[in-house]
Amino acid sequence: MSGEVLVRLNINGEDRSLALAPNTTLLAALRQHLGLTGTKKGCGTGDCGACTVQVDGQPVNSCLMLAVAAQGKRITTIEGLSHDGELHPLQQSFVKHGAVQCGYCTSGALMASKALIERNATPSHDEIKEALAGNLCRCATYPRMLKAVAGWKEFEGQPLDAKPHAHAERDQQRDHDVVGHGVTRYDSPDKVTGRAKYTADIQLPDTVVGKILGSPIAHGLLKRIDVSKARALPGVLAVITGADVPDEWYGVSPAREDEQILAKERVRYVGDEVAAVAAVDEATAERALALIEVEYEELPAVFDPVSAMAPGAPVIHPEKPRYAGNINTRVDWHFGDVERGFAEADLVREERFVGNRTYQSPMEPHAALARWEHHGDRLTLWSSTQTPHYLHRSLSRVLGVPMGNIRVIRPAVGGGFGAKAEATPLDFCAAILSKMTGRPVAMEYTREEMYRHFRGRHKQYIDLKIGLKKDGTITAAEHKVVLDGGAYTSYGVITAYYAGSMLPTLYKIPNYKYEGTRVYTNLPASGAFRGHGVPQPRFAFESLLDMMAGELGIDPFEIRLRNAMEPNTRTGNALDVSSCEFIATLERARATSGWAEKKGKLPWGKGIGVGCGGFVSGAGYPIYRSDFPHSNAMIRVHEDGTGVTLHIAASEIGQGSDTVLVQIAAEELGVPYEWVWMADCDTTISPLDLGSYSSRVTLMGGNAVKMAAQNVTAQLREVAARELGCDPAALTARDGRIFVKEHPSVGIDWADAARLAFSRKGPVVGTGSYSPPKKLGGEFRGGTVGTSPAYSFSTAVAEVTVDVETGYVTVDRFTDYSDAGTVINPVTLHGQVEGAIIMGLGEMLLEDTVVGANGAFVNANLHDYLVPTICETPEIHTAAVESFEPRGPFGAKEIGEGSMLPVFGAIANAIHDACGVRVTELPITPEKILRGLKERVAAGAPAGARA
Amino acid sequence: MVMPDFTYVRPDTLTDACALAARLGRDGAFIAGGTELIPDFHRARESARHLIALDHLAELRGIAADGDGLCIGALTTVAEVAASPLVRARFVALADAARAIGSAQIRSLATIGGNFCRAVSCADTPPAAIAGEARVRLAGVSGTRELAAEAFFLGARRTALAPGEVMVAITLPAQPASSGTSYQRFSRRKGAALAVAAVAARVTLAGGRIAGARIVLGAVSPAPLLVTLASAMLVNERPSATLFAGAAEQCADEALPITDVRGSADFRRELVRVLARRALDEAAARAAEWRS
Repeated sequence: MSGEVLVRLNINGEDRSLALAPNTTLLAALRQHLGLTGTKKGCGTGDCGACTVQVDGQPVNSCLMLAVAAQGKRITTIEGLSHDGELHPLQQSFVKHGAVQCGYCTSGALMASKALIERNATPSHDEIKEALAGNLCRCATYPRMLKAVAGWKEFEGQPLDAKPHAHAERDQQRDHDVVGHGVTRYDSPDKVTGRAKYTADIQLPDTVVGKILGSPIAHGLLKRIDVSKARALPGVLAVITGADVPDEWYGVSPAREDEQILAKERVRYVGDEVAAVAAVDEATAERALALIEVEYEELPAVFDPVSAMAPGAPVIHPEKPRYAGNINTRVDWHFGDVERGFAEADLVREERFVGNRTYQSPMEPHAALARWEHHGDRLTLWSSTQTPHYLHRSLSRVLGVPMGNIRVIRPAVGGGFGAKAEATPLDFCAAILSKMTGRPVAMEYTREEMYRHFRGRHKQYIDLKIGLKKDGTITAAEHKVVLDGGAYTSYGVITAYYAGSMLPTLYKIPNYKYEGTRVYTNLPASGAFRGHGVPQPRFAFESLLDMMAGELGIDPFEIRLRNAMEPNTRTGNALDVSSCEFIATLERARATSGWAEKKGKLPWGKGIGVGCGGFVSGAGYPIYRSDFPHSNAMIRVHEDGTGVTLHIAASEIGQGSDTVLVQIAAEELGVPYEWVWMADCDTTISPLDLGSYSSRVTLMGGNAVKMAAQNVTAQLREVAARELGCDPAALTARDGRIFVKEHPSVGIDWADAARLAFSRKGPVVGTGSYSPPKKLGGEFRGGTVGTSPAYSFSTAVAEVTVDVETGYVTVDRFTDYSDAGTVINPVTLHGQVEGAIIMGLGEMLLEDTVVGANGAFVNANLHDYLVPTICETPEIHTAAVESFEPRGPFGAKEIGEGSMLPVFGAIANAIHDACGVRVTELPITPEKILRGLKERVAAGAPAGARA
Repeated sequence: MVMPDFTYVRPDTLTDACALAARLGRDGAFIAGGTELIPDFHRARESARHLIALDHLAELRGIAADGDGLCIGALTTVAEVAASPLVRARFVALADAARAIGSAQIRSLATIGGNFCRAVSCADTPPAAIAGEARVRLAGVSGTRELAAEAFFLGARRTALAPGEVMVAITLPAQPASSGTSYQRFSRRKGAALAVAAVAARVTLAGGRIAGARIVLGAVSPAPLLVTLASAMLVNERPSATLFAGAAEQCADEALPITDVRGSADFRRELVRVLARRALDEAAARAAEWRS
C-alpha cells in the first residue's frame, strides 16, 4: 500500500492542505475530506456531470481528476458560488425560472454554466446546449436551464425572494393568494447553494462503509460461502451472509413476498445479493468482498418471459409452488362482450407491440445510513426513498423491531421515478451491519449496482386488437400482455393490473378484455416506473388507433374526439371518472399546434403526431390492507405567531410536492407562503403519508394539509372572534390577517390571534387526514387497481424530423395540454410536463437495457444507457386547461405521471407521418427506421415520398 | 470500483519521464487528462501501480503554426484544439472532431495526446488527423522519432508506442492548395455520446478534377482506417454525386465494423455509406472555396 502525500489545494479562495492517497479523486477530496458535499457523485465515470467544479475557470468532472493533479490550481465549487450571503445571479435565475427539481444535478449544472458565462456573458441557446451537454438532469429541467442561463444577467444585484418570476406562466385565473401562483420552489434556495443534504451527504462521526456482494451468475444454488479471509482483513468490522439475516420473506407487495435480504439458498439474477461487509472505508470494503469465497452450482437461466413459460424452463422460485411455470401473476378480465363488439365493428385490426426495459436512472444513487441508539434498541435510518412509510413497515416486519422503535428520515432525494419506492438491500444491510458493529453504517449503490437492483419498467409484449365502426367509434378492445418481471415481484403484481386497467379511462370502450401475465425471468426485477405499467399499452393503443384511423380516412384528432372520455362516467372496468376535460385538451392541442396546416403536409422527413394519456391522482387503496388514512398532516403554529411548521411525512423527490403542500397550507391558513416551514420528513416528527408514487401527493397530501390548516384557522378564528366581538363564522383569514368577511377593515393580525391563542391554551396545533372514498372500484379480482379519487387527462402533439438516410430522429416541438384540475403552482406543473416529455422521448428513442449472454445488463452505465441531454430538448409549449376536481384540494389533480403517457404515442405517430415507418418495438432506433424505410419501398411505396 | 493504490510522480523533464516509464515498464502509465485512464481503473481495465504525470512538461502543451502547417503539443486539451482559430482555419475537420468529444467537462481535461495514445476505436481526433496526413512525434529514452499517424495505431487500445515512449506532438503539414476537409460522425444522441461511426475526408481539387483524396473511417474498425481503394477511386475524376456515392459504397465495403450495444455491424456499414458521402460533399465544397 502506498502512502499518503501532502496536497495543497486552493478551494473557493482558501488554501487547504490535505494528506491524501494519490488515488483520491478531487471529488472524494472535496466531499469526504473537506465536507464540501454540495458537489455530487452521480456516476464516478465522467458521464453525468453532477460533480462539475471549476478548475482554473474551466469546468471539469471532479470524479475524473486526481486531487494531486489539482495541486496549485484554483478550484471553485458550488459552495464558492455565492458571496457575502448573496446568491450569484445564476443561482437566482435557476430559482426563479424553476430550473431546479430534485436538485441533484443542480450544483454541477450551475458550475458548468458559470464557466460558460465567464467566457461568454450572453450565450445563445446553442452555446448553452454545448456547454451543458455533459450535465444530465433526469427531471429534465433543460428548457428551464436554457432560460435561466440565457437570462442570468437580469438577476444581477437582485435580492432573492419567493415571488413568482415576472414571466411565470399562469394558466388559470383563481381568486387565491398563494395557490395558483408560480412562487419559487420551497427547496430551491438550498439546492442552488449545495446546502440541501441528500443521504450520502450526511456525515456522522465514526461512520463505517457497507458494501454488498452480488452474484456473478444469473441462476444457481449456493453451495458454500467462506468469509473467513474477508473477516480477517484489517479494517473489516463485520461480514454477513444469508445465514446472518432473518428468514422472513419480504416485498413491497404483500401479495407476493419473494425476496430475502441476502440469498440463503439460491441466486436468481446477476447481482442477487449474497453477502455484505462493513469496513473502515470503501476500498477496504471492496477488498473484503473480493476475499469472500462463494461456490455456486450453476443452473440453467432464462432471460425472456416466453421461454420462461415454456415447458421444461428453469424454475426460478421452486420453493413457492404457486409460481409454477414461472407465472408470477395472471389477470383475466372481461367487461361487456368483446366477441359481440368485434362482430359489430367495420374494421378490426390486431397488432403486436413490444416495449423496452427502461431504467429510471435517477441522478442520485440509492443510499442508506443506519445508526442504533438508546439501549441499542432504536434504529434511525436515513434513506433516499420515495416511500418512507413502506420502508418503515418493511424494516419493522423483516427485522422484527416495532415501528415505534424505528425512525426513518428521508433527506433530500435526487429523483426516484419509481426506482426508490421500496426498501432496498442497502436499507436492511445498513441496519443489520450497524447493529453488529455498534457504529453508523453508510451504504450507497454505484451506478452499475443501481442498474442491477433495477426496478425499472417492465418490458411488455402486447397483442392489441381494436374494433371500430366506420365513423371511428370503438366497439371493442382486446389486450393481451406478457410482462417480463425479472427475478422478483417488486410492484409487479400491480403493474400487471395497471397495464390493463388504465386503457378504458381515456376512451369509451364498451367491450373490453384484458389478459395480463407477469412472468419471472433471471433478470433484475422490474417495478414501478413513472406511469406505472401504462406507457407501453398506451403507446400500443395510440399507435393502433392512428393506424386504423388512417385506414378509415379519419383524422387522428377526430377519432380521439369521437371516443373521448367525458366527466362523471363509470368506465367498463368500474372506475369512476369525475372531472374530465379531455376534450378540451384535444381541442386546444389541435389548435395551438397548427395541426390542420401540418398533418400530412410537411415535407418528407418531417412529421406531426398526436398522443393522449391520463393517470390516477393517487391509488384508491394502499399497497397493503390498512384502514389508516393515506395522508396525514399536522400544523403547529409558532408561539409568537410569525410562522407555522407543517408536518407530513410526504416525499419531496424533485416533483415539487413540498412546495405544493406549503402553498396549500399558506392559502388555507391565510398567511404568506414564506411563513410556512416544512418540517423534515422524519417518522418521529411527522405523521404518516404513503409516499410519492401513483402521483398521489397533491391530491391526498394536499387534502390532509388543507384540513389541518382549516383546523388551525378555526382555532384562531375563535380567538379573534372573541377579540372582535363577532361570530367566528363571519371571519376569514388572508395574507396574515383575520377579518370580518363583510367588513375587511375590521380584524386583527393573524400573529396576534396566534399569540393570544397560545397564551390562553398552549400549543396551537391542527391535524388533518385524508382517506380516498370507500369502496372504489368493481367487485372483481384486481378491481382496486386503477381506482382513484380523480383522473388526469392530457393530449400531446409532437413534431419530428427524421433523417431518412441515417434514421436519426430529432424531436423538434411538443405542444401539450393537460387537465390537472386546479393548478397549484404553474411553474412546477410545467416543469413536470416538460420533464415527462423529455424523459418520454428518451424512452421512445434512446433507452433500453441490453441483456448480455450471462444475463447481466451490458450497458449498466450512463455512456451506453443514453438518457436525454439538454441537446435533445425540443421547443415545448405546455399549458393546463380550465378544470376543477371536487375531490381535490382547491380543485387539484395530478400531473407528474400522467404527463408521461401521451408522449410515446405522439412521437410514434409523428415518425410515421414523417417517413411512413411504423415501428412497433421500442425503442424506435435509427436502425429500425432504416429497416422500415427499406421494407416500405420493397412493399411498393414510393421512395422519398408519402404514399 | 475504488481505484487501486498507485504512486503519482511528476517528472520535470521529458528525459526523466521517459527514463521512469522505461524503468517501470508495464507497472507504469502516463497520465495526462485522465479521462480515459481513471474510468479504466474503475473498470479494472488498467492496473498500473505508478502514474507518471506529464503536466509539468510545458513543452508538450500548446498549438503553434509550423510554416503553413500546425504543431499541436500532445498535452493540449481537446477544448483548446476545438476553440483554436488557428486549427479551425488550417484544418477544420480536426477542430470539429475535437469539438465532438464528450462534454465541455471532458474536453477541458482530455488531451489530444491522450485521445491518440489510449487508442479507443471510436476516438474522434485520429481519423480527422490522418485525413490531413498528420504525423506523430514520439520521444523515448533513445531519442525522438516521427511516424505517420496511421502507422501509430495498431489496433484497439494498441499503438506503436514503445515502452518508455511518450507522445510529444501531433504535426499537420501545410494542406494542399484547393483542398477541403470534413469530419462527419453519427452518435445515438446529440449531447455527449460516443461515435457509432465516423468519416473524415480531405479532397484536393485541380482544374475541376480531384487531384487527391484521403478518406478515414472511425469507430468501424479496431483502429482508424485509411480507406485506400475508396480514396483512389476519386483521383482524376470530376466531383459528382454519382462519384461520391460510388466511393461511399467502397468505404462501406472496406469498413470492418462490429456489432455492439451502440449499433450492429450492418447499421454501421450503412452509416459509413451516408457519412462518407456527406464528408466528401462537404470536403469538396470547401475545396472549391479554397482561399490561400
